[in-house]
Amino acid sequence: MAVLTSMTKGGRSGAPGPYTARLLLLALLALALPGARAQPAPTPTPTPEYQLKAAFLYKLAQFVEWPAAAFTDPKAPFVLGVLGNDPFGAYLDDLVKGEKIGERALVVRRFQRAEEAAACHILFISPSETDSLERDFAHLRRHSVLTVGDVDMFTRLGGMVRFAMEGGKIRLKINPEAAKFCDLIISSKILTPDTIVAPGRE
Amino acid sequence: MRWRAVCILGSVLALAFSAEAMRAQATSLPSASVLKQMTIEQLMDIAVTSVSKRPEKLSAVASAIQVITGEDIRRSGATSLPEALRLASNLEVAQIDSRQWAISARGFNNVFADKLLVLVDGRTVYTPLYAGVYWDVQDTVLEDIDRIEVISGPGATQWGANAVNGVINVTTKSAKDTQGALVTAGGGGELRTSAVAQYGGQIAPGTYYRVYAKYFDRGDSVRPNGQRSNDAWRMGQVGFRVDSTSTPDTALTLQGDGYDSSMGQVGPDNIRASGLNVLGRWTRSLAPNSDAKLQFYYDRTHRRIPGSFTQDLNTWDLDFQHRRPMGSAQDFVWGLGYRFVEDDVLNTPANAFLPARVGHQWFSAFAQDEVELSRDRLHLTFGTKVEHNDYTGFEAEPSARLAWTPDTKQTIWTAVSRAVRTPARIDRDLYSPAAPPFRIAGGEKVVAEKLVAYELGYRLQPTASLNFSLATFINNYDDLRSLEPLTPPLAFPVESSSGLRGRSTGAELAAEWRATPAWRLRWGWTELRVHSEPQSGNNDRGTRDSIARDPNHQLSLRSLLALSATIDCDVDLRYVSAIGSTIVPGYAEADLRIGWRPTGGWELSLLGQNLLHAHHPEFNSPGSRREIQRGFYGKATWRF
Repeated sequence: MAVLTSMTKGGRSGAPGPYTARLLLLALLALALPGARAQPAPTPTPTPEYQLKAAFLYKLAQFVEWPAAAFTDPKAPFVLGVLGNDPFGAYLDDLVKGEKIGERALVVRRFQRAEEAAACHILFISPSETDSLERDFAHLRRHSVLTVGDVDMFTRLGGMVRFAMEGGKIRLKINPEAAKFCDLIISSKILTPDTIVAPGRE
Repeated sequence: MRWRAVCILGSVLALAFSAEAMRAQATSLPSASVLKQMTIEQLMDIAVTSVSKRPEKLSAVASAIQVITGEDIRRSGATSLPEALRLASNLEVAQIDSRQWAISARGFNNVFADKLLVLVDGRTVYTPLYAGVYWDVQDTVLEDIDRIEVISGPGATQWGANAVNGVINVTTKSAKDTQGALVTAGGGGELRTSAVAQYGGQIAPGTYYRVYAKYFDRGDSVRPNGQRSNDAWRMGQVGFRVDSTSTPDTALTLQGDGYDSSMGQVGPDNIRASGLNVLGRWTRSLAPNSDAKLQFYYDRTHRRIPGSFTQDLNTWDLDFQHRRPMGSAQDFVWGLGYRFVEDDVLNTPANAFLPARVGHQWFSAFAQDEVELSRDRLHLTFGTKVEHNDYTGFEAEPSARLAWTPDTKQTIWTAVSRAVRTPARIDRDLYSPAAPPFRIAGGEKVVAEKLVAYELGYRLQPTASLNFSLATFINNYDDLRSLEPLTPPLAFPVESSSGLRGRSTGAELAAEWRATPAWRLRWGWTELRVHSEPQSGNNDRGTRDSIARDPNHQLSLRSLLALSATIDCDVDLRYVSAIGSTIVPGYAEADLRIGWRPTGGWELSLLGQNLLHAHHPEFNSPGSRREIQRGFYGKATWRF
């Protein structure tokens, strides 16, 4: 770094070498990071992305028909599930509080294992499940659960609806074959050439 | 005194983090109760860019912005970043030869175009040698690009010096969104070989990575007589990106790239260019609509041009930004930045940058406030950046923007802004020959180029499937770079000076129509007039003809048609009028792409580029001109 002495103008006035300045900056960087992380997190609001995704999850119910067998009785609630690390927090509960799907009350449930989630109607599979997606889908295959996710290979591995980010906006990518296999009927209103992904496609 | 400035910067940063006690009232993203009432189409219209940025509707932004999405790039078949930039009709994009491009917005285009700021994931990629961009080494896996924001007009209040005529902001996808393997391979006439291998996986819950390697080999351009010019080149690049959101409100990104390339030139040896960069970004959402961002990067480039010069450039950059609402109607952003650049040039007897080795520092601070003057109707954004550079000291770049949204279908906006281009090494330090007596004798008197820009724009979305945008501007420039004879009437020696002024006016019109769910049409029309003249007391000879090489008219029409769920057919037509100062004739060109996604993560595509002529020129005067050939290219993409 001794080669840096020929600064065109900064060499005068006893300024420390740029090396010193750089060290200071690095030290700052090192200080700032842990300092900031040590802050006690207030009740975590989901990022705007997940606030929006929460609204999409709720809206999806309007565009899908479940077979009667998906409900144990005519008064059974409509279950919106989250599998894995929950990115929505209480925001999702607030959003759907008091809402109904048809005549059914809407309830939110959290799961850590796909086996437990078979009684859901819509299941958001968290990005934390990325490594076990195939196993999760295998557990859900015999049940009418609309699987929703946002990781890249979601629909490719057998998921039904993916929230894809395009230019900051959320786009639906739908695998109609996977939905059909589970006796779910997805409305043509959201099945367009832009949203349909062929089996195995992204 | 600089160390003191660094300490102050440090304390302010520390304060910003510790004193955070947010009571946010304003919410730019509608509340949960409003969101759930929206239709799915309305939800799809809301953009949330990242943790750091607040959601905003593009249709209400008070500047001339166009966005190229990753999907647009895929459908265009673009094989490089400059080709992808042709999708923004508010840019001038001219290919000079096999690897060089002249790219600008709103005029003053040149191989050394110096009034445009280009960022890739927050990293400034211009070279302080001439304040322009070496487009031949700006590359990434195009499939990883999330979006490219192209802003024509000044963005200096937020982005600083060099964001004079426009800003290009390339954003790649989070590693979370590129999980799995991606392999592409292609070949053709011009782009002879191209291959990408990428893999994305998960390190820990909430932490994702991707690594990639890329290689391409491009053929020669031709001389006007059809003879091959010796400018074929090849490049290899590797890179990684790690994204971690361990808690929902904190995001960490670490990414880096390294490349090496060999480029043909007229002469015995090839040009060698290599480089690497590492960037870390920490973003934290502090409360609704409030966040802080800290970013650091290091960038190293090396370029050896046999017979000319060798340059080694190291850049260290630190940037902090904090956004918070003030009351219910104001959104306040401020930030601090520091950059250190170490530039080392190995000169030749013919020409030299003197001194050969320099270290330069930049300090900057900016503040910007957006005030909602009338609920959902009238927004005023005003602010300034203040920068200190080693050449010209302090520079201020204020702006004021007003957006009026009389209803949800239209927006009228206007802006007044000042921007500067601070001197680059080519302005101050270039001598020829390397020892006295000089013919070109540096440029001690060069000051910052100054722009005052007036803009007026209108956006209309009469139906959900149709939208128009119009942006008009008057740009007044002072102290543009000139070359002045030291001993007139003798033509030489000359020195660089700031003796020109200029004015440009123009209009950018763009429209998009979703004719059917499967067919989209895009149309762009840009008109531009550039004039420059000597300021009083200036004896400039000829610079004014070389600083601006701009067509007066540009037209483009793109058709994106999905023939079925698996087959796309996309056509791109463009017309660029003649460039008067260098007698480049006007030209029309067409690209055609057919894409087929059979199954199993495969995509096969065929691309024809510049189909209307065997070869055509886009830039430069006839003597030194190279022409761009028609090219066919086939590509296979496999994701698994």
